[in-house]
Amino acid sequence: MAKIAIIQFPGVNCEYETARAVESVGGTGEIIRFNVNPRTLSTHDGFILPGGFAYEDRVRAGAIAAKDEIVAALAEEVDRGKPVLGICNGAQVLVEAGLVPGRKPGEVEMALAPNENPDHAGFYCRWVYLRHEPSGTILPMPAAHAEGRFATDDTKLITEIKDKELIYCQYVRADGSGERVYNPNGSISDIAGLSAFTRPVIALMPHPERANWLYQLPQYLVGEWGERRRRARREELMGPGPGRVIFKEFVEAAEKGPGGRYL
Amino acid sequence: MTEMGSAEKDLKTAADIVTEYDLTLTAEEVAEVIKLLGREPSKTEAFIFDVAWSEHCSYKSSRWALKRYLPTTASNVVLGPGEDAGVVRVFRENGVGKCIAVAHESHNHPSQVLPVEGAATGIGGIVRDVYCMGADVVGCLDPLRFGDPEGDHGHRTRSIARGVVDGIWRYANPIGVPNLGGDVYFDSCYDDNCLVNVIALGIVDEDKIVRSAVPRIAHDVHYFIMVVGKPTDDTGVGGASFASAVLDDEAEESKSAVQVHDPFLKRVLTVANKEMLRRARERGIEIGWKDTGAGGLAGATSELAAAGDLGAKIYLDRVPLAINGLPPEIIAVAETQERYVAAIPAFFADEFTEIYNEIYDLPRVFPGACAAVIGEITRELEYEMIHGEEVVASIPLDALTTGPAYKRPTVPASPPIEPEGPQPVPGEPGKTLLQLLATPNVCSRRPVFDHYDKNVQGNAVIEAGESDAGVIAPWHGSRRAVAAAADGNPFITRLDPYAGGAHAVLEAVRNVVAVGTTPICITDCLNFGSPEEPEVMWSFVEAVRGIGDACRAVGLRGSDGEPLPIVSGNVSFYNQSETGAAVYPTPVVCVFGYIDDIDRATAGYLQFPDNALYLIGRRWGEMGASAAYRLDGRWGTPAPRPRFEDERLMLQVVLEVNETLLNASCHDISDGGLAVCLAEMVMGPSGAGQLGAEIDLTDVIDDNEPEEIYKALFCENGGYVVEMNQGCEYAAELIFEAAGVDWWRIGTVIDDPRLVVYMDGKPVISETVESLAEPWAGGLRELF
Repeated sequence: MAKIAIIQFPGVNCEYETARAVESVGGTGEIIRFNVNPRTLSTHDGFILPGGFAYEDRVRAGAIAAKDEIVAALAEEVDRGKPVLGICNGAQVLVEAGLVPGRKPGEVEMALAPNENPDHAGFYCRWVYLRHEPSGTILPMPAAHAEGRFATDDTKLITEIKDKELIYCQYVRADGSGERVYNPNGSISDIAGLSAFTRPVIALMPHPERANWLYQLPQYLVGEWGERRRRARREELMGPGPGRVIFKEFVEAAEKGPGGRYL
Repeated sequence: MTEMGSAEKDLKTAADIVTEYDLTLTAEEVAEVIKLLGREPSKTEAFIFDVAWSEHCSYKSSRWALKRYLPTTASNVVLGPGEDAGVVRVFRENGVGKCIAVAHESHNHPSQVLPVEGAATGIGGIVRDVYCMGADVVGCLDPLRFGDPEGDHGHRTRSIARGVVDGIWRYANPIGVPNLGGDVYFDSCYDDNCLVNVIALGIVDEDKIVRSAVPRIAHDVHYFIMVVGKPTDDTGVGGASFASAVLDDEAEESKSAVQVHDPFLKRVLTVANKEMLRRARERGIEIGWKDTGAGGLAGATSELAAAGDLGAKIYLDRVPLAINGLPPEIIAVAETQERYVAAIPAFFADEFTEIYNEIYDLPRVFPGACAAVIGEITRELEYEMIHGEEVVASIPLDALTTGPAYKRPTVPASPPIEPEGPQPVPGEPGKTLLQLLATPNVCSRRPVFDHYDKNVQGNAVIEAGESDAGVIAPWHGSRRAVAAAADGNPFITRLDPYAGGAHAVLEAVRNVVAVGTTPICITDCLNFGSPEEPEVMWSFVEAVRGIGDACRAVGLRGSDGEPLPIVSGNVSFYNQSETGAAVYPTPVVCVFGYIDDIDRATAGYLQFPDNALYLIGRRWGEMGASAAYRLDGRWGTPAPRPRFEDERLMLQVVLEVNETLLNASCHDISDGGLAVCLAEMVMGPSGAGQLGAEIDLTDVIDDNEPEEIYKALFCENGGYVVEMNQGCEYAAELIFEAAGVDWWRIGTVIDDPRLVVYMDGKPVISETVESLAEPWAGGLRELF
């Protein structure tokens, strides 16, 4: 059984439900405080940086946590081939730490910038539809952030990201078509989740742990998942939601161990 | 400290003290303090009494009415009003009571003066009230009242409204507490006094409840008093007293009375507190644990001691400070946020401080934050504060806890003034509906809710703004869930305070019933003007009477005539500006519901084509204070009369049908009446509903007259619209009939996104979802 460390920086707030999501796919989710001996990370098979407001988003979201000793230790574990998933604030930490996109590891090549949304300013919490690129399926899940816009002015970087198929999830319409995409934050190329260039690291802005069980879905959702939610009865409501696939492939990658391929 | 003089001399001395220390207490009250102490109070003591005897803390004007009219006990109540939060047993599992802990407060004055900080610290305070019961906070709600955004003070109102919503999300989102609901109203009566009510919901096992009292064992074992959290500064001085005075120009400047929030530190504290409480529990160590709110350290530690029938000695120079050299009276009463106090056995102190100061590294995470010993529990019933060598306060504890009490005069309030000129004729229903949907008081609340994190913790079943009430399933692995809905229509209360108080309860009850849950308890926050004004006091008493009667009438389902218990609440008086303009009487209630299987949690919008739609509840056509009349500034009369027996039958039948047949969807009828209810059902929460409804009201309305049709569509008498799945119609109708409620099969869900309402074969409303949603969805977008 893969042993997953969920790193608890001061101010994160999604660690408990993330641990439950890891357990739901057969992993062990262990919450590890930011100030433990960084060497303990070597005993884990994979790492999740959960959502929240690490160090109250001082300077920029994720910027302070990215400088924490434990993140340096994490980077070493990544070098050994262990997978990392950063969700929301965790994604911001990974970008600030130069782990995503990680074309030149350790260098900050992108930003998760403040949302640009013509209808809404500030923190934005709303269900969005993603296309999970590895499977091509549409996954509804909540976005809940104020700074979730993948941004860079390096057009070459974006070309490389597309060429290497590093986009992990993309904001799409409920039916999956690419026209008039509902992009909640103005993210470049509608990127919701991005994998790193050479290492098994993924930064994902929306929250799969909040869509990990069917009952977590609102009944107004459009498409297959909405239909499934509306028709679900009793025990079916405790069945998997669209976010489950994210944890499943992450824990499977951790299980395979170093050398195994995450994506 | 002088000898006691004659009563007259005392009053003169008291008046001087009031002036010298700028107290909100009256000279008579300070004279009473002099009598109790047998001497003049020191500055620190004067500050302590100013808070402890404030209206906010002592309920001196309201206590008698609350006691007389409000039912607070029922078999499910574990802890009623009086603790930081009320605790109610929801179900039992393996012999252990599974409980919810709920608290409800206002943070009105601070939010008017500094909206972001005021609203944020409102959330900060209310979640602490629930955390300190040993509970995990699993949700919050924010009923809000703002001035007229288009009125004379529109600019200020808009900035306050934006600031308040900003303050709420900037606090509640980082601490990881999802929003479950709330409501928003706009009216010029709130121009000078916005209302920001806050409600927190937690869960706790009955055997893990921590009391805000020094445990009995402290009579025999040496107990320390600890403070943990942010270092004390000079913010929020006299916050409770500030909340107990009319907001004048000077008060607008008293920003030092507003506290400063830090959600980040709060989140770290919450995680560390959990560990501390776990260790204490595992080792069988009894502790007293309390949030530091009104009255600061003095308020919290004196209440902690008094509740355990013990005394306390506080050494003020041991209190960790953010600013060196703070005078003792400030250290004593400053309402610095993000602090808790604890009474723990002396032998646990080292481990206690280690948890906070080393394991969770508070001093590194936040400058100066830590846990520290600041005092000890004593057997004398005396509350002492020592600063250096000097005893700066020495007060018999009962003097603090038994403040003054008043029964103030009442005079029936004069009715609101109708606009002059002829009464407008009812317009085309379709047009009225579109107009209503665009008004700030009826349009979509989504631009507000979208700022709030509604699904953190992963428990959401029905999110805030999605249906009539928020529903969460916080007991992991089980399908049990709780719901919460907050309501309080100020217009009905202005027109008829008794009906308004009752309506607030009934409306919130309908909301939790509509989502399929059974009401189990209620909290209230009573927002009024100055109790010293007889009309305000009369409205207050009437509203309280209405709330009490409604709670008894609704009752606790399945019990033997027990009331729906009120387990926590707050009175906020002096929501009045210097010009004498008081807010409309605004009782806000929150009702909590329970359901043992989320299978029956019901959405408030249409689900499947060809399903049948039923109306439950007669349209009495009582238009007073309705949103439709308010379109023209009219009040009308009468307000929707509370029909307690009808309401009880309706809620029983809606729950029963859901339990036996499963309601496909259900929406209660409230602001804007049946027409707005149907529009919301077809639009859905996003305004992009893909289904429609074909409705025929011929059997519902007796006379085919424009006036009658208008009243039936827009009156706000309570009721429900229920969508039943195909095949269940006959069985549902049998249940309706057997219960003896008024019901009609009014229509069908259609696979076409439009709302069509017929009367005698003619459409009186015919609108597409798109045309309904256009004014509705955008109504508040500009504002937030």
